[in-house]
Amino acid sequence: MSMTEMGQRQGSGWRQTVQTVGSHLAGMIMPNIGAIIAWGLLTALFIPTGWWPDKDLAVMVDPMLKYLIPLLVAYTGGRMVHGQRGAVVGAAATIGVIVGADIPMILGAMVMGPLAAYGQKKLDELTEHLKRPGFEMLIDNFSLGILGAVLAIAGYRGVGPVVSAASTAAGHGVDFLVDRSLLPLVSLFVEPGKVLFLNNAINHGVITPLATTEVSEAGKSILFMVETNPGPGLGVLIAFMLFGPRSMRPSVPGAVVIHFLGGIHEIYFPYILMKPKLIVGAIAGGASGLLTAIAVGAGLVATPAPGSIVAYLAVTPRGGHLGVLAAVLVATLVSFAVSSVLLGFGHGSNDLVDDPDADSAASGPATGPASGPVSAGSASRRPTTPGA
Amino acid sequence: MPEISGTDVKNLTVACDAGMGSSVMLTSQLKRRLGRYGVTVTHAPIASIPADAQVVLCHEGLAERARSVAPHAVVVPFRLFMGDPAFAALEKAIKDGGTIAG
Repeated sequence: MSMTEMGQRQGSGWRQTVQTVGSHLAGMIMPNIGAIIAWGLLTALFIPTGWWPDKDLAVMVDPMLKYLIPLLVAYTGGRMVHGQRGAVVGAAATIGVIVGADIPMILGAMVMGPLAAYGQKKLDELTEHLKRPGFEMLIDNFSLGILGAVLAIAGYRGVGPVVSAASTAAGHGVDFLVDRSLLPLVSLFVEPGKVLFLNNAINHGVITPLATTEVSEAGKSILFMVETNPGPGLGVLIAFMLFGPRSMRPSVPGAVVIHFLGGIHEIYFPYILMKPKLIVGAIAGGASGLLTAIAVGAGLVATPAPGSIVAYLAVTPRGGHLGVLAAVLVATLVSFAVSSVLLGFGHGSNDLVDDPDADSAASGPATGPASGPVSAGSASRRPTTPGA
Repeated sequence: MPEISGTDVKNLTVACDAGMGSSVMLTSQLKRRLGRYGVTVTHAPIASIPADAQVVLCHEGLAERARSVAPHAVVVPFRLFMGDPAFAALEKAIKDGGTIAG
């Protein structure tokens, strides 16, 4: 069964759930990427091993990571659940988790922010009936203030240590994978997950919190390169440009620019969904890129978002550019080579449905109940119009 | 299934997972193409498609989620981010007043 079919048929409910959960997790991080990059730049510039070591300016680095970023995440997570009041109570409650742990509590903020906001939402429903005219502001402010204070204490005593232990365990797990050069195996899950539009969930929902913690200890993290390497997608696109179905080739150069320079990886997902076997090329590229990064000790100081080569070079620590470029280059070459073989170097690729996998997805009743009676021409291959 | 006549379309929401990347890219392209017909093109994360969205454009891999978030809107899925026939068909329907069905 091809990936397209899996996505559209049996996997649809599962996929939708994972996408929704993942987009909530990613949604707490993504609006704050700018702040994470600001912190990454300050770190890369002013820490003792940075470009312009400066003890005075470097004092900003630690509080920014320990307080600002988790509080922004908690605020955003709270806002998603219960608007402005959820945002405020989420941030207030999260301070307990932050001071209760000795590592940056981004994960703790992702738990505490929405949780506190949910509590506030319930509390607001409860107090709705108690409000006498003129007392709304008093009740609103003090219900939030009291809940925020209580949850801050609970976070300090209870949640902080637990999340702290979980973060540490996850960190050890990552160390284990890196030390034994097993990290490339995660490409087996990451690359297919990406093209099923779980890219943000994986990168920002899971990897960014872990990797940011690692940077605070090691000065850089290879984890930032797991999902963001533009190499695998670039390799697939170039193979598609040279050996893909002829009618598709003209659209690829523009996609290459948007992907590699603009960093919008989504642009290459449809090409893989169209020729699902190309996922093997992306996995091979991703894995070999990570293997290269481990071998040369490459890492980044902040999340390169969007995953453009420009963003990559901007968040590379001093002295790390050759290693990072090597990881991108190797990933591109391997992905290109494998994808080219899979496309048979262009033989018999004159029309779109030459591929048995893609063919079964397109011609069978594969679009099924999941995607419904889609009227626009995209789900089927016919260039039909959306009802026009 | 909701449907709408192309001439009644006043707003179009391009949705993607985060509402920050691919949807913004498409929005700036479609603004140029559809603005002259009086259609406002905006972008949003799937999870917060505005309640008054008439037509939602998103990748087919996200269409189900868009439909469950915005059951009232006409969800038009596409496959390719560049040059998908759905874009041209949408523009034609808006220009000539054809029916757009979700």
